[in-house]
Amino acid sequence: MNCNHFTPYSSRRDLLVRSGYGLGAACLHMLGASGVAAKPAFPNFAPKAKRIIFLFQSGGPSHVDLFDPKPLLEERFGEDIPDSIFGGQRVTGMVAHQARFQVMPTKYKFARHGQSGTEVSDLLPHIAKIVDDICLIRTAHTEAINHDPAITFFQTGSQLPGRPSMGSWVDYGLGTANEDLPAFVVLHSVASEGPGGQGLLARLWGAGFLPSRHQGVQFRSHGDPVLYLSDPPGMTRERRRAVLDGAAALNKLHYRRVGDPEIETRIEQYEMAYRMQASVPELMDVSSEPESVYELYGPDSRKPGTFAGNCLLARRLAERDVRFVQLYHRGWDHHGELPKRLPVSARDTDQPSAALVRDLRQRGLLDDTLVVWAGEFGRTPYAQGAPKPDDYGRDHHGRCFSLWMAGAGIKPGHVHGTTDEYGFNIIEGAVSIYDIQATILHLLGIDHEKLVYRFQGRRFRLTDTEGHVIREILT
Amino acid sequence: MLRNSRTKELFLVLRISALAAVASVIAPAVEFGRDVQPLLADRCFACHGPDAAQRQAGLRLDIRSAALAPTASGRVPIQPGDPDSSEVLRRASSPDPVLRMPPAYMGHQPLAPEDLALLRRWIEEGAEYQTHWAFVPPAQPVSPSSSTQNWPRAALDAFVLTRLGTERLAPSAEATNAQWLRRMMLDINGLPPTPADLQAFDEAVQIRGERAYGEAVDRALSSPRYGERMAMDWLDVARYADTHGFNNDSERSMWRWRDWVIDAFNRNQPYDRFIVEQLAGDLLPQPTLEQRIATGFNRNHVINSEGGIIDEEYRVEYVADRVRTLGMAWLGLTFECARCHDHKFDPISQKDYYRLFAFFDNVPEIGEAGRVANAVPMIPAPTGEQRRQIASLQSRIDSLEPAERMVADAWEPAASDLQALGIPEYPSNADFFFGCEESEHPGIAGRGCRAQEIKREDKVKLEEHGAFTLSLWLHADDRQPDAPVFSAINYEPDPSSTSHGNGIELRWVGGEIELRMSKRFPSYSMTVRSEGAGLEPGQWSHVTALYEGSAEKKSMRAKAAWTRLFIDGQEVATRILHDDAQAGARFVAPYRIGQDNSRSGHRFLGRVDEVAIWKGALSEDEIHDVFEAAAVPWARDRAGFELERSWLYRSLQPPGQSAALRRSLFALRRSLPTAMVMEESPERRQSRVLIRGRYDSPGEPVEPGVPEALLGRWPEGAPMDRLGLAMWLTAPSHPTTARVVVNRFWQQLFGVGLVKTSGDFGLQGETPSHPDLLDQLALHFIESGWDVKRLLRTIVLSATYRQDSAVSPDLRNRDPENRLLARGPRIRLPAEAIRDQALAIAGQLSGRVGGHSVRPYQPEGLYDGIVVGASYPGTTWEQDDGENLYRRSLYTFWKRTLPHPTMTVFDAPDREFCTVQRSTTNTPLQALTLMNDPTFVEAARKLAERVIREAGPDPADRIAFAFALATGRRPEAEELRVLIESFDRLRDSYSGGADDARKLLSVGESGTDGSLDPEELAAYTALANLILNLDEVITKG
Repeated sequence: MNCNHFTPYSSRRDLLVRSGYGLGAACLHMLGASGVAAKPAFPNFAPKAKRIIFLFQSGGPSHVDLFDPKPLLEERFGEDIPDSIFGGQRVTGMVAHQARFQVMPTKYKFARHGQSGTEVSDLLPHIAKIVDDICLIRTAHTEAINHDPAITFFQTGSQLPGRPSMGSWVDYGLGTANEDLPAFVVLHSVASEGPGGQGLLARLWGAGFLPSRHQGVQFRSHGDPVLYLSDPPGMTRERRRAVLDGAAALNKLHYRRVGDPEIETRIEQYEMAYRMQASVPELMDVSSEPESVYELYGPDSRKPGTFAGNCLLARRLAERDVRFVQLYHRGWDHHGELPKRLPVSARDTDQPSAALVRDLRQRGLLDDTLVVWAGEFGRTPYAQGAPKPDDYGRDHHGRCFSLWMAGAGIKPGHVHGTTDEYGFNIIEGAVSIYDIQATILHLLGIDHEKLVYRFQGRRFRLTDTEGHVIREILT
Repeated sequence: MLRNSRTKELFLVLRISALAAVASVIAPAVEFGRDVQPLLADRCFACHGPDAAQRQAGLRLDIRSAALAPTASGRVPIQPGDPDSSEVLRRASSPDPVLRMPPAYMGHQPLAPEDLALLRRWIEEGAEYQTHWAFVPPAQPVSPSSSTQNWPRAALDAFVLTRLGTERLAPSAEATNAQWLRRMMLDINGLPPTPADLQAFDEAVQIRGERAYGEAVDRALSSPRYGERMAMDWLDVARYADTHGFNNDSERSMWRWRDWVIDAFNRNQPYDRFIVEQLAGDLLPQPTLEQRIATGFNRNHVINSEGGIIDEEYRVEYVADRVRTLGMAWLGLTFECARCHDHKFDPISQKDYYRLFAFFDNVPEIGEAGRVANAVPMIPAPTGEQRRQIASLQSRIDSLEPAERMVADAWEPAASDLQALGIPEYPSNADFFFGCEESEHPGIAGRGCRAQEIKREDKVKLEEHGAFTLSLWLHADDRQPDAPVFSAINYEPDPSSTSHGNGIELRWVGGEIELRMSKRFPSYSMTVRSEGAGLEPGQWSHVTALYEGSAEKKSMRAKAAWTRLFIDGQEVATRILHDDAQAGARFVAPYRIGQDNSRSGHRFLGRVDEVAIWKGALSEDEIHDVFEAAAVPWARDRAGFELERSWLYRSLQPPGQSAALRRSLFALRRSLPTAMVMEESPERRQSRVLIRGRYDSPGEPVEPGVPEALLGRWPEGAPMDRLGLAMWLTAPSHPTTARVVVNRFWQQLFGVGLVKTSGDFGLQGETPSHPDLLDQLALHFIESGWDVKRLLRTIVLSATYRQDSAVSPDLRNRDPENRLLARGPRIRLPAEAIRDQALAIAGQLSGRVGGHSVRPYQPEGLYDGIVVGASYPGTTWEQDDGENLYRRSLYTFWKRTLPHPTMTVFDAPDREFCTVQRSTTNTPLQALTLMNDPTFVEAARKLAERVIREAGPDPADRIAFAFALATGRRPEAEELRVLIESFDRLRDSYSGGADDARKLLSVGESGTDGSLDPEELAAYTALANLILNLDEVITKG
């Protein structure tokens, strides 16, 4: 019996240090790994979510223009944000020179929607239709005021590089549920505004100090969907098979001589690679999707690499039990020309995000799939530069911002938390990034305080020494 | 052979005894340092350890006197000899979860029964404490007696054998010649032996026996490949990369530092000097260029250029990164933990941390920096070849100049000569002109203006990326240190704002001229200053700044290389002080003459005239004409011009031969690579404890210093700076440095260090598997003069290293990681070596050492949708051609936020921070890479061509040769049978499939040998692809 077949990325040495789970635990025993401390098995309790789709909105979507209506801003247009509200807020160098921080209302109309009566702006007509399926959190907050630290914090639990990403932690804790696909898949979208945007970083889906096999695998919309997936031209499947058969036979002979179990693992990994050469293209081939699906996700969903196209892929990955799908959309960094650019970002993401939730629900997958829609921070209720009704910009704002979650174990049709009348500070229901991470892990059946990895003499956690599960938003 | 049979005997004897007993890896006798302290540190010290702020119930267990003293409650935590009266044991074994320690309500598991038993025994035996092993300087261990054994070849083997004896294990048989040679060369050179190497070695062993081994090692150690191989690991530790990191992640230039490392290893620089020069090369007396480049070690950290970040926040991070790296690389301690609070496990206080921090806190650096090029401080870092060229040009200029000057000085023109001089036409197309007086002749024929604030509403608009020429006359009253002459730069916004200092400016700096172009000052600015121009006060000088611009329309590249300065129509030498201007200059502020709009309000004391700006680059002739157009009339109109004679004569003379040489010299100097280095600010920054590690919460002031009680005394007379720190670190009595270093070399060879946690020798680190061996190696290393080559030579020649790596199921279960060393190392190759080896055996590998990093094949569109949406340098991958496709992998361009996938898939780190250990994983993505990455497919084709060419006509010979090239051994009969069968399958498949064959052969940029039959070559290529994918090939066994 080979103990490694259950997970695509195992190595004997890693097995000895990773948590025992399912077959993993059995294998630990079988390998006779005496002296290896027993680690708590995951999940710690029955999970609500079997998988997660994280729709990351890079750049910082404006909560005051999308999710958090503030009529007072209208009245106070152009006035300074009162000192009592501003407090000791750190500002970025982009507005440090501004003499005034003037109130800038949104130019978009908010209305109540659904049975829940949740208010969102008219930039999100499709989200408006699923408000009864989602839980809108208006009181997320973050310490970071710049993109790199903020997004790194959200995805790794630290503002500085070096920690494993959320998906890597989950992969480390839970392993894969699909033998033919990686457990942690990353998708990048190109915005219709163009390829611009804040730089994303491999560390956001990197394994940090965890064994590097836990890093996310990018599925690409052009070229090879997975790097080096395709055989070279002139290498047919049959010939590839001949090559792999020969290699496997020789590896086995060598194993017989030297006895290193890494060789057995390698033989398995080549078989897995061969299977992926079939399973990944099948997954990426959306041509069999019916017309109604394209209508649901919108016209962009026919174009590979768009946010819509990636949402559709995310659903296909969820259907195949990929544990963690991390999707990125860029272009939300609206320091200027917000009225021109925000609608573009909203249009790119509104329909596909809502479609994904509806599609998952229709297929019965929403019950055990968690969907998260969030950026790294929000945007200031004051204008960056001069406040002009039709041409304004907003700087980064971490004191409060909005995000939503839906699906497995999340209270549908719920709005969590209250911000002040300026949309500047939290009044009630503060949710830290650690809380969000703890809640995500909780839904996956993981106690965030138990998911630890010892490195450099310290026990590390995704949530560092903090984080509380947000009970109020759970069913 | 004799030796082998003796080993076998021994092997047998020990194997039999091994069967008789099941020994655990951990030996039985209780030892505080090895058994108890790790347990206490792991389970208790977080609340009852060195961290005073977190200490609960006043109980401290890391110090014996404290642990034995009654606490406030009157109970005695530890009562030596009396476990039952020891509160610690009572609480730890309490069945009541409320009372039990560590507390269940904090999520802690109770101590395991065996741990409790251990504590009990330790208390029974007297609860003795020992200083943590790593904080006691290494002592010469008693060499284990090995009189009855003839297995050892080196002193180190006796230690290994003794431990094996305790474990009732025997060493493995010796590896074959070929196996050892391949292992050794992959370790020492990162490349496998050639078949010729193997054959020569076999023959040498026949003739010279044991000596042949030493000679083979010496050959490998003297190859330039050695330095490259050693640099590979050091680049991880030193977090070397070709980009700055963070979300802009643009290009930097530190390859001169990387080449310094290669060279340091190749010339076997004593390792203590290797430390000293990297930590403090700039503080050595009269540091050489190379010593200053070495200090780039402490500038290799990530640098953030995200717009609007808070400078101090990131400057503090850079300093912290230096402390962290020092801790992991040489101290073997996780100092980082004490950044926010006292260390929880090791006796390092927060103040200790900030005293160490203070050594690195005084660099004249900027938090937000590095958007398009290197961040300050940086220096021009010419290569040896460039230095030779500079010296040669300079000496030719020096030999011509005196004669030319003599001619000029001898020139005594009559007034009529001056009248006869033609007045060139002033280029009339200036886009901006400001003159002080109307007169027949423009400019200084008049008296110029007293420089004063002449604020004008109009602004000159220059194209964002275009060239421009700025020219003016100036006349300084005296030697002013730094004053604006022409300022169109806006200093008004707060320095923390992204728009502070946007524009261009020409300044007078003590007789030199400086051009600034800036997006944000000083972060994103270019500063070029004349060198040796020596303008005299009290006379008119004509100054031209020429920015030649970029051919690339929207280039974001650094600007200094395109900036030239002219005095009196003649080009002068320049020095680049800062070169990180993000975008072209724009006049955003109304210009001022003789004054800028900064708060300090500097003024230029003197006169200015004839300020002109052209959009576009004037030619050198035109620049000279601009000068003469004013200078000649001025000379004609004046009688007493002695004062200005020198400049006038020199400039009116036709250019001598030296002019062309000077032009070449200046162009060369502008093109030199730069390197970021360490420097000390002239005014020492007062370092402070940062409360909770926050940049904006400074606490008590601290002075540089080290935890002497823990890690040894500060060397007498050593300066309290980085140089002193380096001296302290390399003092022979320092407890950790040499141990950490030899342990890492051991890890490089055996896969796991004698201390497995090679970056943490503290209480939370693992205790050494062979403590005496570690000490023996460390002391030997110091005594040898920190001789790295000698250390490696000793280890690879040892019997321990020379064992076969085959493992029995028993031994594998017993010791999966080979910590006991009952067999030779068997480890998958590092990413770089996997690629380098494939190129080498295919005959493609370039042997060129050093230089710019290169961009070999990388999947197209890899950066799409990921890298920052701005065209900073380093955000596109323009693939190289020719030789640069086949350079060693340590030269591959290392983009931190998205390193080359073939590197990361094989576990290379991203180098955002110091890494002392890579993981070794085994994944399907690795399989896909080896199967399909064009690098490996092309290498397979070249390998196929090679065996067809070199191994005769018989397929079996060719196949066997290919296998031997890749594995270092002939295939066995069974293996050859499999290979031939596979080949037959592939040949049949390609037979008649010329199209497919040609497609396969088209992969890669190198040409295909046209004389070969494509179908046959394709079959061999596919077979070579098979061979390159074998586990044995990518493994050092």
